[in-house]
This record gives sequence, structure tokens and C-alpha cells, in this order.
Amino acid sequence: MYTRGPVIVMELPEQLNHVEAKRFLDELQPLLEGDRPSVVLDCSQIKHMESAGVEMLLYCLEQAMKRDGDLKLAAISPASAVILELMRVDRLFEVFQTSEEAVRSFQIFAPATVAQTQPWYAAPYGLTDLKAAG
Amino acid sequence: MIERLIAIDVEHISVLVDAKSSAVAPSFRHFPENVKVRVVADVAAAIAEELAGYTQRGIGHSFINAANAYAETDLLDLFCFHREARQPVTRTFDRDGCLDLWVVDCAKAQPIDLVFLKNNADQNGAPRYFIREYVNRLLHPRDVRRLAADILRRNCGTGVSGKQVRPGVWIDDGGEVHRRARIVAPAYIGCASKVKADALITRFTDIERNCCVDSGTVIEDSSILANTTIGICLDLCHSIASGNKLWNLERDVAVEIVDPRVMRFTTARPRKWTAHSSGRIQAREEAGVLQKPEMPQRWQIENNNIQE
Repeated sequence: MYTRGPVIVMELPEQLNHVEAKRFLDELQPLLEGDRPSVVLDCSQIKHMESAGVEMLLYCLEQAMKRDGDLKLAAISPASAVILELMRVDRLFEVFQTSEEAVRSFQIFAPATVAQTQPWYAAPYGLTDLKAAG
Repeated sequence: MIERLIAIDVEHISVLVDAKSSAVAPSFRHFPENVKVRVVADVAAAIAEELAGYTQRGIGHSFINAANAYAETDLLDLFCFHREARQPVTRTFDRDGCLDLWVVDCAKAQPIDLVFLKNNADQNGAPRYFIREYVNRLLHPRDVRRLAADILRRNCGTGVSGKQVRPGVWIDDGGEVHRRARIVAPAYIGCASKVKADALITRFTDIERNCCVDSGTVIEDSSILANTTIGICLDLCHSIASGNKLWNLERDVAVEIVDPRVMRFTTARPRKWTAHSSGRIQAREEAGVLQKPEMPQRWQIENNNIQE
């Protein structure tokens, strides 16, 4: 049903600053120029992310979307997640626990693998419970 | 519920809509022949009338379901349970209490109305059928939102209609998504709805039929109810939007937006339901005339606070 080529999985560097982001983009750019590129970026190694890194992610996403492809993130650390949330770009990406789940998501939708930031009202205890607890 | 009743080959289905809330009457893409929709002034009297009609036609049993909760159960099993119990009324309940889904013997249970049903089924010894499956009582707008997310997550039996254009993204008949718009799975775009350029639809968002999300707008973890237009470059999160009304679930507040450039009803609402002497419903289109649907009673806005 979903005819796609192979999924490209790449690991982002530890330091996602201006220099590393550019280096990484140079590697990824040719792969994004294919038809319907399917890309998974493994974020497990990231220890430091700057705005240049976020900008690079957005550029890659834009390039993939232009060619009717998609870019997904996997194994993102809490620190990186905070930065993406802070810059309000987290909601642009599908985020998965592992690269394998992200790769599978190009073929089939498995709701359990989608990492979702639950809003507070979806928690098992709601506002009423909080009020009751004083 | 109607689809599930059709699935078990129920002979006749009567949908009784209170005249006060006729604007929220159900609409069917393919109107089934055995479904009859009536707008009535007195629902309780109409139930009795329908059951009398069923008895005359030789129909022995009837399911009665008030549309104030979403409950999934094996209807055939419920029916068998009712027959074995040999009582005129069987009521369902779940771990949180009674539900307004009954099975009744049409002949034995007359005269019948909702009060009779509740009283009869609540008496000690009356059979009660326990529902272990998915139940959502739809008491608060956040329950509607949760139901939408559960459907997208496949936590309940109702599936997403439309075509899955890529994993986790469903677009229904006539739905249009601009090439430059971004849809992050899971998400649903309803019939004849439009998502314009640079819009972002993300995090379990569902957009119902005949809606429009204008350029540059972000819809996150929200439900856009039918016939709603959301303006340019807005950021809508954790909300339910219907026409010019917005419930923000995070702040637990409801607001009415006056500026039509921000939010409004989509023009040329497709249907308005009216009562007909023969009991048949006519779907009339009032071209160019806007009419705000009445909101369910328990969601009435007062001082901008949602009343539970």
C-alpha cells in the first residue's frame, strides 16, 4: 500500500552545533535528493544541541517533504526533547522510542510506538481530583 | 452505535432527536433504508410511540440507547442475556455505574419512557448487564477529545473512516491537504475539509467534515468539530473548536470568538434537519444562510467556564 524505497537511518553526532550540523547535512543532503526520501535520525548520541542543529533538522524535514518524503526522529533524550519543545518544533516531527520502530512506522501505523507528550488533563487524575485533594 | 446495530441486522432503527437540539442530529454519508430519524418535542413519548409501533409490526425486542455516552459491547450477547433473564427491561452498567443502554420487551414494557426505564431497571433484582469493554461517558469536552484520540490510537472499536494516505494519516472523501501543509501522524482530516499551505496538524488531531484550517495555522492535540473555519497563523493546542466557540482543555475554559477572521462557522452548512409530518427527515440546505448549532446542554457557557 505504501510504496517506498529503503529507509535511511542516520545517527546524529554528540555535539549538534553549527560545525557538526553542517558536516552532518553534507552527508545527508545527497540522500534527501532521491524520490520520496524516508529518513530516520537516531538522536541517542546527542549530548548538546544548539539552534543550528534544530535549524538543520528543519531544513532536512523541509527537503524531505518537498519530495513527498518524511523525516522521523528516534531515541531522543529528555534534554534534546526539552530543547525541541522550547523552540516549538517538537510537534513537527514524529518521534519514536527506537530507530526500529521509526523505520517500521514508514510501513505501518502502530499507535503504541508513537511517543506522545500527554497533556496534563489526560492524566489519570484530573483537576477535580486535585481540587478534592486540597 | 447505529453502525453496530446495522452490523447485527437489526430490522428497524429509530433515531429520536429532541427538537431543542435538532442542529446536532446525526448525518449519514449513506443513509441506510432501515434508519428513520425523527425530530420530536417529547423524546419519552416518542419512545413509547415507537415501541407501540414495533409491537404492531411484530417486533419483540428493542435496544434503547440515549446518546449521552459512548459504550462498546457485544450487542448480541446483551440481547441473549436479556432473553435469558426473562424480565421486561435489562439495563447496562460499567464499573462507574449505570449506562443509558437498555434492552426491552416491546410489548411487556409498555407504556414506557425513560423515567420508567430508569426506575424499573434500577430496582433490586432487575437484570443488569455489565459492560467490560470501552466506555466513555462524554461528561466533559475533554471526554470528547479523549474519545477522538482513542479512536486514532485504536483503543476502541470504532475505526477511522477515509483513506489512510500514509501510516497514521487518514483523509476522508473530498478532504484536501495542501502540498506544503504538514500532517504528523496520527491525524484525521474529515470529508470536504481543507488544510491550507504551511498549516501543521499534529498530535492526535482530528478535523471533522467541512472544516477549513487556513495557512500557517498549527492545530495540536485538538478536535475541530464539523463546519468550522480556523483563521490564518493561529496556534490551537489542547482544544475543541466548534464554529466560533473554543474550549481550551488545558485551562478548562470556554470562549466565544467574535472575530470571524479568527474562527467562524464554515459558510453553506450542508444540512439542517427539520421535522416532517410523516416522520421522515428532510435534509435541507439553506444556501448562504448561517445557523449556529445549539450546543449540548451540559456544555453551556456561563462566565466563560465550562459547567460540568
